[in-house]
Amino acid sequence: MPGILEYQSGDTFLHRAHPLVKLLLAAVICVGGFLTQSLWVNLALLALSIVGGFALGMGRKVKASLKGAGSLCLFLFVVQLPFVRMGRTLLPLPFGLRITDLGLRYCAQLGMRLLGATLPLVLMLGVTRLSDLTNTLVAQLGIPYRYAFVITTAIRFIPVLFVEMRDVIEAQTARGVELDGSFKQKIRLIPPLCVPLLVSCVQRMENNALAAELRGFYLRKRGSGYRRYPLSAADAPALAACALILIIAIIT
Amino acid sequence: MEPIILLEDVSFSYEGASGRALDGVRLSITPGEFVGVIGPAGAGKTTLAHALSGVTPHVRRGDFYGAARVAGLDTVSSSVAELSKTVGCVFQDIESQFVTTMVEDEILFALENFSVPRDEIPSRVDRALNDLDIADLRLRSISTLSGGQKQKVALAAALALAPSVLVLDEATGELDPASSVQVFELLTQLQRERGATIIVIEQKIMLLCAYAERLLVMDQGRVVIDGSVRRALEQPDRLLALGVNCPRVTTLAARLREKGLYHGAPPVSLDEAEAMVREALA
Ligand SMILES: Nc1ncnc2c1ncn2[C@@H]1O[C@H](COP(=O)(O)OP(=O)(O)OP(=O)(O)O)[C@@H](O)[C@H]1O
Ligand SMILES: [Mg+2]
Repeated sequence: MPGILEYQSGDTFLHRAHPLVKLLLAAVICVGGFLTQSLWVNLALLALSIVGGFALGMGRKVKASLKGAGSLCLFLFVVQLPFVRMGRTLLPLPFGLRITDLGLRYCAQLGMRLLGATLPLVLMLGVTRLSDLTNTLVAQLGIPYRYAFVITTAIRFIPVLFVEMRDVIEAQTARGVELDGSFKQKIRLIPPLCVPLLVSCVQRMENNALAAELRGFYLRKRGSGYRRYPLSAADAPALAACALILIIAIIT
Repeated sequence: MEPIILLEDVSFSYEGASGRALDGVRLSITPGEFVGVIGPAGAGKTTLAHALSGVTPHVRRGDFYGAARVAGLDTVSSSVAELSKTVGCVFQDIESQFVTTMVEDEILFALENFSVPRDEIPSRVDRALNDLDIADLRLRSISTLSGGQKQKVALAAALALAPSVLVLDEATGELDPASSVQVFELLTQLQRERGATIIVIEQKIMLLCAYAERLLVMDQGRVVIDGSVRRALEQPDRLLALGVNCPRVTTLAARLREKGLYHGAPPVSLDEAEAMVREALA
């Protein structure tokens, strides 16, 4: 099973869509969430991502992102809520803190915006090959290949880092490092876990850059990409959806 | 014939290291040779491979002495990119060799970079995948492959380029025996069809001896034996002393010869081994 941020092969209309259209659609859903003032539109965009994700057969990715980004959003919600002073107080708290109606609304919207920005990106990466993304960034947006490659390599390295982290943790546990324990004990564990992780990461990236160089990375020209990416009629509905979402987000 | 690889007294010590990873290496390889390299851990095999691709001294830095020329290019004054047009490599550390996420993209990457004509690209990709029996992995995410499958992908990517010089540094370590044989067959094919020069660093000595024509044995940064595979195998005691795993059948040949039971050269294939046993039993 490919990881959360990895491409998941399939043959849906979004898999076949133009990479830039997919990027645009994801961006519009993210940005739309921040433009709109209406909680309902935020909710609708979030629902669109969730339903869309399941429809694309990527329910696993949706659930994992909701769990990951969702807990972060919940944390932000709880931490910020008592500090908003505007609005009608619903529940007074000690130390001059309070929960207000505007606070609830504001914090809920922030959470939904963050969640609404994460999901479309995860789904976009799920239906788009990184190489297609790189190639279109270069061929259609005129971004130099080097930069496009760095962007997509960074995305590629996120899951690699997680695997590496798991390996380091396993190796250290095997050597008798206790991973359960008090908070203080855990803090002391950070160096033995992070130092090898950092070292192996730097090494890995260096070796990776070398591998690219040995295979002609610096000889690449703008027109070197083999695949071509023509816009097709099938991309029209997705483009129309982009425009629609943007308009709704602006007027609400 | 003009050598395609020429090392003249090449020495190299890594930045901050005290000893020499390469120590006065002289080496001349003509185009189309199939050279095996063997030696104990730390002998300098990988450093030698790096010296051929320009990784040493351009990327792995240190003090470089002597002169190395590959296909007419001086490795010190030419860039790695320049050299990469001639020298293809598959290195030991398989995990960090991939630059894309999918098998097909990995093979495309270098073909695109080296400006292989568009109409040739699909057939080259197909052929590389079929040659290594990984056509079914074409659309797989590389992170989901097994170690052996990953090695096949790296090898396919290198073979698709059909470079004039191909350097493999323990690139079959995770393959099953049948796949290793298949890789060596493909290397031989590249050598015959394209006149490619093949340099293989390998621990599986019997396999190496069955395919390579010339064997370099390295120890402590030096090339201590350089000659035909047979000549190298005639010295099993020396190989063992160097920590090189000598094929049992060669050791057997040496013992039989000592006892006057066998008079031929050390066998490098099963047929020759059978002939030796027949002679000894006769
Ligand atoms: N990056 C480095 N920095 C310092 N010394 C190094 C570095 N890489 C290798 N060496 C040293 O150089 C010597 C030759 O190493 P090299 O990797 O070439 O050996 P090798 O024959 O490939 O060994 P192995 O069979 O284990 O792969 C060794 O003594 C090694 O410790
Ligand atoms: Mg090595």
